[in-house]
Amino acid sequence: MIGGILGASVGWSGCGTVACMYRQGDVLIIPVNESELPAGLVPAPRDRGRMVLAYGEATGHAHVATGEGLTLLCLPDDLETMFLRVRSYGRVSHEEHAPVPLPAGYYRVVRQREYEPGAIRYVAD
Amino acid sequence: MTDRSWLAVGLATGPADRSEAEEAVRTAYRRAGLTGPERFEWHGSPRAGAVAAARLAAGADGGQAGRSVRGDVRTRPWAAARAALASRLGPRGWAEHWTATGARTWQLLIDRLVTPIRTRLDADLAETADTIGMALLDAVQGQHDAAWLPAFEGVVELEGLAGVARTAGWWWPYERVAILTERPVALHRDNLGRLHHGDGPALSYPDGWSMHAWRGMPIPPDVVVRLPSLTAHEIRAETNAEMRRVMVEYFGYERYLRETGAKKVHEDEYGTLWRADIPGDEPLVMVQVLNSTPEPDGTRRTYFLRVPPDTRTAREAVAWTFGLIPEEYAPQLQT
Repeated sequence: MIGGILGASVGWSGCGTVACMYRQGDVLIIPVNESELPAGLVPAPRDRGRMVLAYGEATGHAHVATGEGLTLLCLPDDLETMFLRVRSYGRVSHEEHAPVPLPAGYYRVVRQREYEPGAIRYVAD
Repeated sequence: MTDRSWLAVGLATGPADRSEAEEAVRTAYRRAGLTGPERFEWHGSPRAGAVAAARLAAGADGGQAGRSVRGDVRTRPWAAARAALASRLGPRGWAEHWTATGARTWQLLIDRLVTPIRTRLDADLAETADTIGMALLDAVQGQHDAAWLPAFEGVVELEGLAGVARTAGWWWPYERVAILTERPVALHRDNLGRLHHGDGPALSYPDGWSMHAWRGMPIPPDVVVRLPSLTAHEIRAETNAEMRRVMVEYFGYERYLRETGAKKVHEDEYGTLWRADIPGDEPLVMVQVLNSTPEPDGTRRTYFLRVPPDTRTAREAVAWTFGLIPEEYAPQLQT
């Protein structure tokens, strides 16, 4: 929901044969190679069966990943470091944003943060 | 119970169910092979519980209470259950199981709640007897044991601990006496689960013991009272840097920028970078960005995000909020 402007409203500049970087509000989804994945990833905790990339502040809204053979992964001792494994096709949905399509591949999930002297605070929409 | 319902247990406010809690304590003692307490003592907060436990540990009742049996009722059954599960699942299986069941509740209940409570209790009680510090170590965390209980669903040896978790706050088991405490009357957290409230205490217990906090940072009650009527001038005059940060955040970064005559530093297709100086502190540097998704009336909402003070361009600022350098930040689709 927050961010730079590339297109007029819902920005789409295309990315040809290169894997796309996607943004949905305060979440950035960055394509990575399988070799870049850290060792020891496990399926991330689910919330009532849902794979939640990030939650909103008070609304209960959430960025939720769905798709055939799609898995949200994290490190057992660091729940904020998340990756997506998409076997065929997936999507990320949110109550206030258009859905983001995800072609097969691996992605790093980055939550937008804000600077706080002495600490970093994550943004929630 | 799911980890979500255990989280609700850990965050529950309102009176303890005293008879259920006492019955669960008896179960925990029985499971540990102990005869059970002869007497229950109830207090209104973890602080009051710690003070009472310290008095018992110091022999205030002539040694009637006996030794602490925390090891028998809490540590040993927990360690046994964990070892059994870890050996059955193997290291990777255990990591997966813990992540799916207890990792989230642990983060939200222990890291965000119990650790600040303990830090505050240590500070509160530092000037009193050393025995209170020891008494804090003897505490069993009652509802806050919901942090790890979801990983051990159905383990009968833990049913007493689980029963107390569902019905009461922190507790202290001794051979012949059990000290139990109430749950909070109020609990307020931010979206990250940190103690956070701008209108009264973020956490308060029925005996009046409370903690004021803003986004997890402890703040004095008199600062909380001043927050709603702050002016930009008062904020600039505040000498404590941490308090000033709380004040600016409550006041609103955007409003502070406006009322202190912030300078436009840079503008590009990613947004606008603003800077306001704060006397005696690092400057407030913020990037103003537009929402990609239009509102129903076609307009787009503006957002301000605080970024490090040495940021020079709007693109660098937005890239930083995602942990990237400007050249890396290039989303092809934004919704």
